[in-house]
Amino acid sequence: MRSQVYFAMRHLASSQKAPEDWRTPKASAKFDRAMAIARRLGLRQSSAAFMRVVLSVLLMAVLTENLYAAEVATDFSAASQLYAEGKYPEAANAYERILQSGVVSPNLLFDYGNAEFKAGSVGKAIAAFRDAELLAPRDSEIRANLGYVRSQVQGAAPAGSLWRDWLGQLTLNEWSLLTALALWLTFLLLTAKQFRPALAPRLRGATGFFVLLTILLGMATGVLAAEHYSQQTAVVVSDAVTRSGPFDDAQNTFAVHDGAELLVVDHHGDWVQVADGSGRTGWLQIKQVELIPGA
Amino acid sequence: LTKYKLSTVATAILIILAATIKVGHATSFTASLDRDTISLGETATLSLSFQGAQPNNVPTPDVPGLQIVNSGTSQNVSFINGAMSATVTVTYSVTPQRTGKFVIPGMRADINGEVIISQPIELTVTQASAPTASAVNSGSEVAFMKLILPQQKVYAGETLAAEMQVYLRDDVQNFGNFEMVSQPSDGFVLGKSAQGDRFRTQVGNRVYTVFPISISVTVARTGDLSLGPFTADAVVVLPSQNQGGDPFFSQFFNQGQQKQVELTTEQVSAQALPLPDDNVPKDFNGAIGDYTMTVTAGPTNVTVGDPITLHVQISGRGSLDGIKMPDQSSWNDFKVFTPTAKTQTTDALGQEGTKTFEEIVTPQSAKLHELPEFSFSFFNPDDGQYHTLRQPPEQLVVQAGNATPLPTIAAAKSATPENQTPQDILPIKQEMGTLAEASGPLIAKPAFLAAQALPVIAFIAAFVWRKRTDSLANNPRLRRQRLVAQLVEMGIDDLKKFAAENNSEAFFTSLFRLLQEQMGERLDCPASSITEAVVDEKLAAHGAPEGVLTGLRELFQLCNQARYAPVRGSEELNSVAAKFEKTVGELQGLRI
Repeated sequence: MRSQVYFAMRHLASSQKAPEDWRTPKASAKFDRAMAIARRLGLRQSSAAFMRVVLSVLLMAVLTENLYAAEVATDFSAASQLYAEGKYPEAANAYERILQSGVVSPNLLFDYGNAEFKAGSVGKAIAAFRDAELLAPRDSEIRANLGYVRSQVQGAAPAGSLWRDWLGQLTLNEWSLLTALALWLTFLLLTAKQFRPALAPRLRGATGFFVLLTILLGMATGVLAAEHYSQQTAVVVSDAVTRSGPFDDAQNTFAVHDGAELLVVDHHGDWVQVADGSGRTGWLQIKQVELIPGA
Repeated sequence: LTKYKLSTVATAILIILAATIKVGHATSFTASLDRDTISLGETATLSLSFQGAQPNNVPTPDVPGLQIVNSGTSQNVSFINGAMSATVTVTYSVTPQRTGKFVIPGMRADINGEVIISQPIELTVTQASAPTASAVNSGSEVAFMKLILPQQKVYAGETLAAEMQVYLRDDVQNFGNFEMVSQPSDGFVLGKSAQGDRFRTQVGNRVYTVFPISISVTVARTGDLSLGPFTADAVVVLPSQNQGGDPFFSQFFNQGQQKQVELTTEQVSAQALPLPDDNVPKDFNGAIGDYTMTVTAGPTNVTVGDPITLHVQISGRGSLDGIKMPDQSSWNDFKVFTPTAKTQTTDALGQEGTKTFEEIVTPQSAKLHELPEFSFSFFNPDDGQYHTLRQPPEQLVVQAGNATPLPTIAAAKSATPENQTPQDILPIKQEMGTLAEASGPLIAKPAFLAAQALPVIAFIAAFVWRKRTDSLANNPRLRRQRLVAQLVEMGIDDLKKFAAENNSEAFFTSLFRLLQEQMGERLDCPASSITEAVVDEKLAAHGAPEGVLTGLRELFQLCNQARYAPVRGSEELNSVAAKFEKTVGELQGLRI
């Protein structure tokens, strides 16, 4: 795949001839169609050459994207195959490699969480499911697996709250988009009233509604945004003992188990200060936890 | 392996280089050893020389009992009588694994299609031998070496200290470049070594200075074991034989004579016994030596789930690295974390010291009242018996803790939509779904935030437009002002056009009308009522500058004159148009 990209780049660098040798017939056909349109538009030779370069670059971008997606899909299939064969640690590593390449999807995180759980890493599984839930909060399968894995953790299950559950029905991005939509509609109405003052009485109710909606949605977004940045959670990935300070020789404070979800209070170098539900605080090394944003 | 690969690559490169050289000599292939007799433990060098052309293959000799390893390739290019001669030499290290006579057979090399076979080479390997007791006692040995094992009966796994002693005769002025050549051992694993304090001793009829070197050895198996013979090279400096002169001065100014000496110890043997099968403690986990144990724990007044730190110190002599944390299988109702270990040795050989384990345990029940007994068993080779150290149970107060609530976690919902407890996780998804780049939330993206500013800007623009429109609608004078300004702007273009066409009549008609419109707007009166007289009557009264008034008067007069003498040149009309533009511009700027 990389050789195709390389070939295409070299081809562009050397001439603007049609890429007959590209191994993807679909891509070649698209290129030919685009060039035919350019010719029909009556572009001169120099313009056509310029168009050829532009189209080639665009096509390259699309091609590269497609190739990359295909590569990721292949890796995903291989990881799923490992999972199916019961090679859970290997499957978890394979899923993790895909995630480390910078792409993410709820399903990918879901499968990664499954593999980690089957491999015995409860904390990592919870972290993966929580990441997946942040992307797809209404996915019942993610919630089910997260709930099940949480039930395997030693200690009390984390408690939720109604209003927080309600807000969690949408992702932060979805709340942000809704707020943006309401904001646009509000100002659209206000702008329309400037152009058509006669419509003002009839638009008054709608405008008020959207102003109120924008404020409410903005508040919800603000709350979630504040949580995202300040309510970070640390999921413990192996049994550990917290320390009273951010250094190795500090006194032990309390023990935490694999999968425990703790509130992050502070950061210091490679250490995070965490708090449990009873208000006890202690320091853990970052490598002992997976950090999850609050929303 | 890497070294071997590098050597092979270097050989290949040199061979390729050699391929580019024109040769002026006949091809030849020779094999040679730097020595034909060596002692066991020494290494000889085998050289394969290809002269005149590059070989198509470099033979690798294989002789049972000899370890032959490629050690490098060199190339030599020389010009003899104008003809260039290139020689590629591949060298091998030859290390014998036993004594005896070995024959490195003739090797075949294909050089330019010609197969050349080298001559067989003989190598004799002798057993390194220590000097005899009579030679030592006679004082004829300048230096010699002894190897001492403290006991001949040892146990598998036992660690002990062997001693190698280097003896230097009293006339040795200096001693240096000491280098161990070989330290063969069968059944022993050599560890650290440390040099002790030198001392002097009488051997036979000569006095020797002894340099003791202790070596840590660990018994690796049972059965008959052997250590040595160790061999070493050194350089000693002896008094010169033919120095002459006064003996008194010669003791200060004698530079001495260097001499390379080869030192060889005798081979020492031992018998390794297995650990006894009788009375093996249940918790024995392989510790051999002589140890003591100290255990401390704290805090001992805790709540369920609180950590208790245990420090287990095992001190003594033996293989400290092999000591493991004592067995804790009886520690029920405790969560035991993986311990950490630190070893501190107090001697140079690393056989004495303390190994400290730090371990976290957390009580899981409030019913616990004591930390269980700690026991550690080891085998002491000195008395040939097992020993068990015990730490009695320690009182512990465990209070029942409240169920530890965890923090409120986002979207912590019931396990399934149906509120049923599942038996296992749901299976993986076969589709990867829509991929996205892992990135921060939208609200942190400048483009998204900038996009939200667009409707606000649009509204502000519309609002300003609305205000201006309303303002214009409610201000007729302002409206007239803008209308006249537009009219004048277009009129100036007309004037220039009329001037270019030399259409004097249309020019002045238009000029007069423009003057009326502009002054009417300024004085807020109908344009038709504007005449030259208005300039002095009203405009001067409003404080218009004299220059403007004069300009307007002139323009009016020109318009009047044109009625009687309409024909004027295009150039003159242009200058009138310019004057009008200037005067009107000043008039528009007046605040009336």
